[in-house]
Amino acid sequence: MDKPKLNIVGQETRRKDGVARVTGQEKYTPDISLPRMLHGRILSSPYAHARIRSIDARPAEEMGAVVLTWDDIPHVRYNERIITVPSVLHKDHYVLADKVRRMGEAVAAVAAETEALAEKAARAIRVEYEVLPVLLDPSEAIKDGAEPIYDTAMWGTNEIPISGNIACTRNVEEGDVDQAFAQADVIVEGRFNTQKIYHAQMETKSCVCRPEPDGGLTVWPTTQSIHNVRILLGQIFDIPLSKIHVKKVPVGGTFGSSIQMNPPIPICAALALKARRPVRLTLTREEDVHDHTRYAGEIHLKLAARRDGTLLGAEMELVGDIGAHNIQAYSYLGVSIGWLVSLYRLPNVRYHGTAVYTNKAISCAMQGFGNPQVTFAAESLIDELAEKLGMDPLELRLKNYVGLGDTFWGQGPTVRSVVLSDGVPQLLHRGAEIIGWEHRPKPGSQTGRYRRGIGLGRGFHTSSAGAPQPGDVIDFSGAMVKVNTDGSVDVVTALMDHGGGTLEAIAKLVAEELCVPLELVNLAPAETGSTMYDCVTHATRGVYAGGGAAVKAARQVRQELKETAARFLNVMPEALDLRLDKQSGQGVVYVPSIPDRRMTIQEIATRCWTESWKTIAAAVSFRPTNCPPAYVNVFVEIEVDTWTGAVRTVMAAMGSDCGTVVNPVMAAGQLEGGLNKGAGYALFETNEWNADGQVAGGGYWIDAKTAAIGETPRLADFITHFADTWEPTGPHGAKGIGEAATNPVAAAYANAIYNAIGVRFYELPITPEKILRALAAENASDPH
Amino acid sequence: MTPQIVTLTVNSRTHQVALGAHITLLRALRDLGYTDVKNGCEKGDCGACAVLLDGKAVNSCLVLAWQADGAQINTNAGLGTQENPHPLQVAFADHGAVQCGYCTSGAIIAAHALLEANPAPTETEIRQALSGNLCRCTGYGQITEAVQAAAAVMQKVKGG
Repeated sequence: MDKPKLNIVGQETRRKDGVARVTGQEKYTPDISLPRMLHGRILSSPYAHARIRSIDARPAEEMGAVVLTWDDIPHVRYNERIITVPSVLHKDHYVLADKVRRMGEAVAAVAAETEALAEKAARAIRVEYEVLPVLLDPSEAIKDGAEPIYDTAMWGTNEIPISGNIACTRNVEEGDVDQAFAQADVIVEGRFNTQKIYHAQMETKSCVCRPEPDGGLTVWPTTQSIHNVRILLGQIFDIPLSKIHVKKVPVGGTFGSSIQMNPPIPICAALALKARRPVRLTLTREEDVHDHTRYAGEIHLKLAARRDGTLLGAEMELVGDIGAHNIQAYSYLGVSIGWLVSLYRLPNVRYHGTAVYTNKAISCAMQGFGNPQVTFAAESLIDELAEKLGMDPLELRLKNYVGLGDTFWGQGPTVRSVVLSDGVPQLLHRGAEIIGWEHRPKPGSQTGRYRRGIGLGRGFHTSSAGAPQPGDVIDFSGAMVKVNTDGSVDVVTALMDHGGGTLEAIAKLVAEELCVPLELVNLAPAETGSTMYDCVTHATRGVYAGGGAAVKAARQVRQELKETAARFLNVMPEALDLRLDKQSGQGVVYVPSIPDRRMTIQEIATRCWTESWKTIAAAVSFRPTNCPPAYVNVFVEIEVDTWTGAVRTVMAAMGSDCGTVVNPVMAAGQLEGGLNKGAGYALFETNEWNADGQVAGGGYWIDAKTAAIGETPRLADFITHFADTWEPTGPHGAKGIGEAATNPVAAAYANAIYNAIGVRFYELPITPEKILRALAAENASDPH
Repeated sequence: MTPQIVTLTVNSRTHQVALGAHITLLRALRDLGYTDVKNGCEKGDCGACAVLLDGKAVNSCLVLAWQADGAQINTNAGLGTQENPHPLQVAFADHGAVQCGYCTSGAIIAAHALLEANPAPTETEIRQALSGNLCRCTGYGQITEAVQAAAAVMQKVKGG
């Protein structure tokens, strides 16, 4: 496809919120203070599994605190995340715990005049618990006679029994799997275990809430979706949505941790409603560490292939540890098989997924939503298969990957579309060249203390969960674009920017469409009442779907500008075009064949105003009908110190096919972030629980082992590159990038470690201890 | 605990506040409206609350407010304004060193303390100086580049 020339999209610019952020002026939820605001605090359970026998709130009330307990909250069961359609949505959560199912769960909450008093009051509440056996391992939780974590949950509008601590299951079968395996020349299989890790977003979950005189609420939450917060608060507190105003507030990173409406939001709302005063509630870091993690689980994967490397089929079994609540387990089970069949063409596939409750922090989406886990398994096995076949692992990937013209599952079995842009060959060849793929050592061929290895991980993420037909995932965006009398443009959208520059991209896309200088296009402050619905910034959909909505609105405005100018200029609208006039610094609407028939956008908008005619504006909803894969591959060269077991990144090359690169600097930053978070996942990040269900170290951030600067590559050792592609369904050719950048990284490290020392690891993180143990076992079995 | 009057001089403005002995400098500064000082963990793990205390970068969550009595405290917001940002702030904005922005103030403070002591640091020295500041969004390459770029600009300005 011929790529149109772009004027603004793809330019390196200083982001609009950049100066506010670097000078410390940006205001996040914990920075908001309101007159007569109270300070909230939750009372966290010190047990991981317990019945609440009684709560005595009097000591806290005697200190002047407003106290919230089970008796004060609406007894409405809900699901924090409402992206899944209601008919298949599980609901097992209340504003405060009916029963404690994880350490740190809120059993009560207080609001008081100062933070110090709130803390004191929360500690003064007396709770009597009946402590129950703690289940930490899914294989223990599903055993007969295991203590039930739940008796029932809601499934759609029905109450269903929960037995064996199984939250839900999901099976998929396509083609003839038995025949595929019977015909196979080679079969590879492995059991892969991945761990729960903490999102480690810099801002802890937070909320400010003000009760309004009309019975409504104004809310400033930490969230990835203002509209879903509004809908849930409306359902829980039985308030019309038109009385709930949820404001868009910048967030200090999320990485999936605020896709759902997190506990502090409804607790803060309930406190504000009871106190009849504004309340701010911010989680401490320890509370936040106990709150959510990435999904952990065991993946048993089997691949069948012909001698020439053609994949014939796969069998996959997944047992997921979803922690104390079911936020999106049904969806997670669905996407997990989707990621596999969208990585490689697998015409025959059988899948069984089981989601198991445990007394641990709640599993939720974290950059990739099951994709890093599945990609770790699949990309490790593809390397094993290549070795068995004596093929170059890169060639095996090129032979089988899901690319141009193939069907792609963007978000589980119900979200399917066809791939229309594909930069995979470009990316693989370029990355191989940078890393020196041809010169990689033979696995296990090295001796000596330091051993180097090169590994490849290939992956992707979906750009949105769009598809031709509705599925079990809600996915659409909205935007309003409005031309002001001075020719400047307001973009009004509920779309959240987690920091990656999504809104900067939106401004560029609109400026491009309207031929207006970027400095004249700005994002208006937004809240639920003034915006169209936007589902949530997740699924790498911000630029693709949120941008798609903005461009759709801008396109309507462009047409209206032409039709309006046509009246003023006395020409046919079809004869008009738009361009950016560098001299006037304005967009102009003009007749190409009659140079003096032209008006600037400012002139058109001003005349519409002075002649009392109209505002030129458009408000649209946009449903993406595709979910293009955003491809990323990463080549890493690592060095294993066989004396200490430490793994050092010598060099990393990351390539992205995100279609048109809208913000080049920000996109490179997304790749670097993906590498760092992926390397942490591969090598050291983990949340571990002791037998009581306490996060190791009490939940201090340092125990989550978030990578600091010393754990990341030096400037010269990290190289990014981008494919030259154009996504026909994307806004000005763009698709997503964010989550794709994390997904293949752990596999690349596992493959590089195998290449260096000849030991394959099936469990993350691959810590120095595990490497030393494996090397010692090798030495013991090897007479040399 | 009887509150004591503590004198805090922040970004050249002097405040006299009555504070309990257990109140940290972080909480005192945020209560005074210096919300650029972020509360990331309150345990000294993340560096988001870093300020200059008599020119030295400290995690304000690990300093009790009374320990800063009479000292000069500088926060990132005091280094520059929207109209006249500090060269470090400009460099962070122009090199992609800011994404969500939550770690940014602390990172700029750490970098500022470094450049005051060592106007032309090596990459290794920058990495050491920023080793206490976590960034989860992007990582540290663009932050390192920003510090290098700011150092070059500040050297030039000093050299005339």
